Parts: sequence; structure tokens; C-alpha cells
Amino acid sequence: MDKKKSNKLVNFVTNPKYLMVLATIGIFLVIYAAGIIMYGDKGFAKLRTFMMLFVDNAYIGISAVGMTMVLITGGIDLSVAAVASLTGMFIAYGTTVLGLDPVLCMAFAILVGVLLGLGMGALVTYLKIPPFVATLTGMFLARGVCSLISRESISINNELIDKMAGWKLYFMKYSGGEWVKIKPVAYINLNVVLFIVMIIIGTIILQKTRFGRNVYAVGGNEQSARLMGLPVDKTKMMVYGFNGFCSALAGIAYALYVKSGWNLALQGGELDVISAAVIGGVLLSGGVGYMIGTFFGVLLKAVIPSLITFNGTLSSWWGKIITGALVLLFVALQQIVMHGKLFKKKGTPHKKE
Amino acid sequence: MKKSKESIFKSKLAWAVVAELLILLVAGILEPNFFHIEYNATTGMFYGSLIDIVNRSAEITIIAMGMTMVIALGGTDISVGALVAVAGAFALKLLRWDVTLYPTPGDYTIKPFILVILVPLLICTAMGLFNGVLIGKFKLQPIIATLILMVAGRGIAQIATNGKQFTTGYTPFRFIGQGSMFGLPFPIVITIVVCAAVMIFVRKTAFGTFVESVGVNPNASRVTGLKSDKIIMIVYTLTGFLSGVAGLIYSSRISSCDSNNAGVNYEMDAILAVVLGGTSMTGGKFSLVGTIIGSLIIRTITTLVYYFGITSESIMAFKAVIILIVIVIQSEPVGKWLATRQARRQKVGELRG
Repeated sequence: MDKKKSNKLVNFVTNPKYLMVLATIGIFLVIYAAGIIMYGDKGFAKLRTFMMLFVDNAYIGISAVGMTMVLITGGIDLSVAAVASLTGMFIAYGTTVLGLDPVLCMAFAILVGVLLGLGMGALVTYLKIPPFVATLTGMFLARGVCSLISRESISINNELIDKMAGWKLYFMKYSGGEWVKIKPVAYINLNVVLFIVMIIIGTIILQKTRFGRNVYAVGGNEQSARLMGLPVDKTKMMVYGFNGFCSALAGIAYALYVKSGWNLALQGGELDVISAAVIGGVLLSGGVGYMIGTFFGVLLKAVIPSLITFNGTLSSWWGKIITGALVLLFVALQQIVMHGKLFKKKGTPHKKE
Repeated sequence: MKKSKESIFKSKLAWAVVAELLILLVAGILEPNFFHIEYNATTGMFYGSLIDIVNRSAEITIIAMGMTMVIALGGTDISVGALVAVAGAFALKLLRWDVTLYPTPGDYTIKPFILVILVPLLICTAMGLFNGVLIGKFKLQPIIATLILMVAGRGIAQIATNGKQFTTGYTPFRFIGQGSMFGLPFPIVITIVVCAAVMIFVRKTAFGTFVESVGVNPNASRVTGLKSDKIIMIVYTLTGFLSGVAGLIYSSRISSCDSNNAGVNYEMDAILAVVLGGTSMTGGKFSLVGTIIGSLIIRTITTLVYYFGITSESIMAFKAVIILIVIVIQSEPVGKWLATRQARRQKVGELRG
């Protein structure tokens, strides 16, 4: 009986489907533990430091939810950061320059995000344009429109936005007959709530709905999915539309985070999002990936700059190099896990992406 | 007679030439002085908008030579922009070596000039080889393999220069980007030499055919005895080397290194030049002449847009619209639709006699 149970556990761990996610969680825990051992006395172990990982990277995480789905269908979206930047610009220009209601601006931004996503989805799905090129066009378009609106950074001074950005949920503990804030003050803000809610929604969509299973099927083998009669085109369109929604939501989160709109904001952010998903075990060839992996991918990517800050002597550019190395590590791991060996003699995935 | 007319309209190269001529025509109508080329006897140089367009397109043209073959293989290389920054950073590092010891920029070099040229090229070639090994040997997807260096490359460049911006006044180095030879700006001379060398290598040997063969079907090519992985590695290494050349020209133009902004979006421009030149993103046939024209089209549009007084960032929106038109025309379903339409017309024409 006991042996059966342990067998089950071994099977679970060595299952290639879960191995990538477990590796991400493992490496995150190792790095975090190493951080606590090295810089625990400087405050790395504090709850506040841990919560700041979420606060500072919530917008990347929100965008990564949509990106995970796109990557699982075997596509890629390079436009996410540009769309997020455009959203921030809409909110900033709308509220500060035009004096519009911020809710209206956000709704408009989300509408634009979804429409852009659907547009790129249509290029990919119906015109058979490689996702890389189609979304590159979307990125150019979003950035260009952003610059057409304004070249300068516009700060957001709006009561409602301030209220939303300033909203905090403190961790309380019960001591001495009343609830007091845990010190040093650890809090989560609206962005973190959005991030976690989006991860949960993404998990439910992928694991519990018919649409989610279609997403995996399309990514696994589009031809087979089509022959099985699954709505391949509709699924792809919906995935790109959902990703557009996530990008716009990430843009709102970023606008709340920096309280301004800038046409050059988040430059190169799409690579942050993609590398977070890859580190989280999402296979770029499609068909494999979990939201929880992406969640830890975002955290793992976030903990590195945090460690470098705590070190204090290292140049912050090491963060980029280490991220590059981590992507390399995980891609190599994927190769080993999925194909059993690093060198693959037969077949080549070079052609299809 | 009829047949040749058809083939001209089917040739994508012809479309690119027509597009470039149309843009030039618009430019000529708007600005009658546009085609005016002036010879200055004292400096021995030609001046004019056309010369300027060719001069300024040098970096993208050189990179796009390599990118054409990368795309013909069915891949992409998004690390070229970072490699441009790396080449500039190392060249300036060798010129200035230790800024604390030699604080003022002047007409001197610390390390021999030959090293200033060779070391950056060597490093970029090695980075290209790194991409090539990951893609050719380890069969990683090109986007993700080159993503690693795109993220890490700028970090390496920053660390090489300690995050500082060096400037130099060393005349031989400044000659690369600012000098002139045979009355032409030196970057044009470099571009002509590089393009000629690549074309001879590709078209006078069987290498170009090998690349096209691997791009169409890697497995079939391997079965017929082509060493696909070696061809892939050579192409990516060459692209790395060419990015290094472009990086030297760029840093010489501005007489300094700028690891943050050097080569930003070069990968996008290079891919755009290739696609405009008629090489399909799905791999296979490629046209180096088309790529040169594609690069010129991009630069002409940029110059024209500047002429209208539109900001440099907003050019992206125009680029987006142009790519959109090109990729929609190039896409498979539209092509089929056009072909069937043409066939039907022909039939109607035959019936009518």
C-alpha cells in the first residue's frame, strides 16, 4: 500500500508534464532560501520583501497569464508591452489632458486591447501569417499610435486613480485582544489582487473548461485538432483576444504602479513576459504549460533583481545576464524532458514555431 | 510575351522595386531638390538626400544580409540589436580601456587599432556561433535561442563598459562611420563590399541552394545528405559577424558607445527589410537584392516621414501599416484568391476569344 503511494509520487514527479513546473518551483525555493541565508540579516527574510516581489511585478504576471495561453496554442505575442503602454497612455491622456472619467478610459483601453488582440488573431488564424510577424506589426502599430498621442510622459492626477493605486490590504495579526498590522508593514495592493485573480481565472479556464482543453489540443497538434472537429480557428481567435485583454489589464496595473503614461514605457517588456512564461515551463512549441508554472516563473524572475539589490555591489546588469542564463537552462531542460536527450538526431523543430 | 508579363507581376522583387520608385516619386513631387546630388570639391564627397538614404541604411542592410538567410532557413534572429550594442561597447572599451586613467577623450587609442576592430567582430561572431549551436545542434526554436542573447547581450555590453558611455576622438575609428572613400561615405563602401562578398559566397557557390533546401524541408535535406545543422550554424554565425560590422559602423558614427540605445529595434527593421524584399517568413527562396531594396525602402520612408515633421517614434505606426499591407498580400489565402481570380479572368478572356 505504502509502496503504491510512493510509486504514485514518483510518477507524479517524473511526469514530464509536471517536471518543468516542479523544477521552477524548486529553483525558486532554492534561490529564495539562499537569499535568506545570505541577506537574512539585511531584511531579505521579511514578509515585506516577499510581498514586494508581487507588488513590483504584478503587471508582468497579469500579462503572462494571457501569454501562457498564446504560447500553449503554439503562437507568440510580441505586442503585449506595446499594448500595455498604449493603455497607460489612454488613461493618462484621457484623464489628465481631456479630463475624462478614468473608468471610461479604462473601458476604452480594454476594448482597444481586445480588438487589437482579435485583429492579430485574425491575421494568424485566417491569413496564416506567422504569429511572430503578425504580432510584431501589432507592436509597431501600438507603439506608433502611442507616440502619435504624445511623446512626453504624462502624469496621472486623478482622485479615483489615486484611490485605486493607494488601496492596500494589510496583513493583520491578533494580539492583545485587537487586530494589529504585522510589522514591518507587509501589504498587497490592487495590482497583486488582480494578478492572483487572473492566475486563478487562467487556471480554471485552462484546466476546467472545454475551451481550455481545446487550447491544449490546438497547441499539441493543430492538424489533429482540426480533424477531430474542434473549433481550432475560434479557439485561436479567443486566445489572442483574451491575451489582448490581459495586456490592457497589465497596462492598467502598470499605470496604477507608476501613475503616468509614457510612449516608451515598458520597452522590451514583451521579453520579460515571454521569458517568465518560459522559465515557468511553458513549451514554446505549444501544447504544454501550466498557469501555476508561469506564476512561479514570474516570481523566479522577480527574485533575481531583488537579490542583486540586496547584494549592493553587483551591477544591476547581471540581472539581465542571469535571466538569459535561466532561460537557457530551462530551454535545455525542456529539450531533455520532452525528447529524452539533448542531442536530437531525427527531425528538427527549426522550421515550425 | 504574355508569359513574361505574368512573371514580372508575380516576382516579388519587381513589387519591391516598384514600391521604392513610387515612394521616391512622392518624395520628388513633395521636395523637388530630393534627387539633387552635389559634389563638394574641398571634401571630395557627394552630398544629397539619396546618398544620405543609402548611407544611413548601411547598418540595417548589412545585418539584413544575414537575416535574409536566417529567415530563408525558417528561423529568426532577434539578438542582432543586442550584438550591435556589444560590438560598440567592446570597441570603445579597447579604445579607452580605463576611463579613470585616461579621463579625457582624444585622438588616441590605448590598445592597437587592429584589436579595436578584430576583438568586437570576434566576440560577435562567437555570439552568432552560440546562437547557431543552440539552433543547429540542440534544435532549439530560433526565437527562444536568440532571445537568450537578446536579453543577456545588453547586460554583457553594460558590464564591459561598467554602465558608462565612453566617447572617443580617435580619427581612424571615426573614419569607419564618418569618413569617405571614392567620394562616397565610407559606410556605403563597406556595405557594397559586404553585400558583394555575401552574394558571391551565396550565389557563386552552392551554399544559397543549400540554405533554401534546408528552409523548405530540413528533414528531406538531411536525408539527401546535406549537413543541415552545419548550414544553420554557418548562417547564424555569419549573422553575428555582420551584426558586429554594423555595430562598429554605428558606434563610429556617434563616436561613442551607448549600450542602452545602440541597435534598439534593429532586429525588427532587419526582418522588415527582408520581408519587404520578398523573402517569405515561412522559409525557402530568398532574394538578397530584394533585401537591399527593402532596407532602402525603410530608410526612404523614414526620411520622407521626417520631412513631414513627424516624430521618429511615430514612424513605427507607418511601418506597421506598410508591413500589414505587405504581409496580407504575401499571405497564402490572399495569394490563392488572387490566383483563382486571375485564372477565371483568363478563362473568360479565352472564351471571348
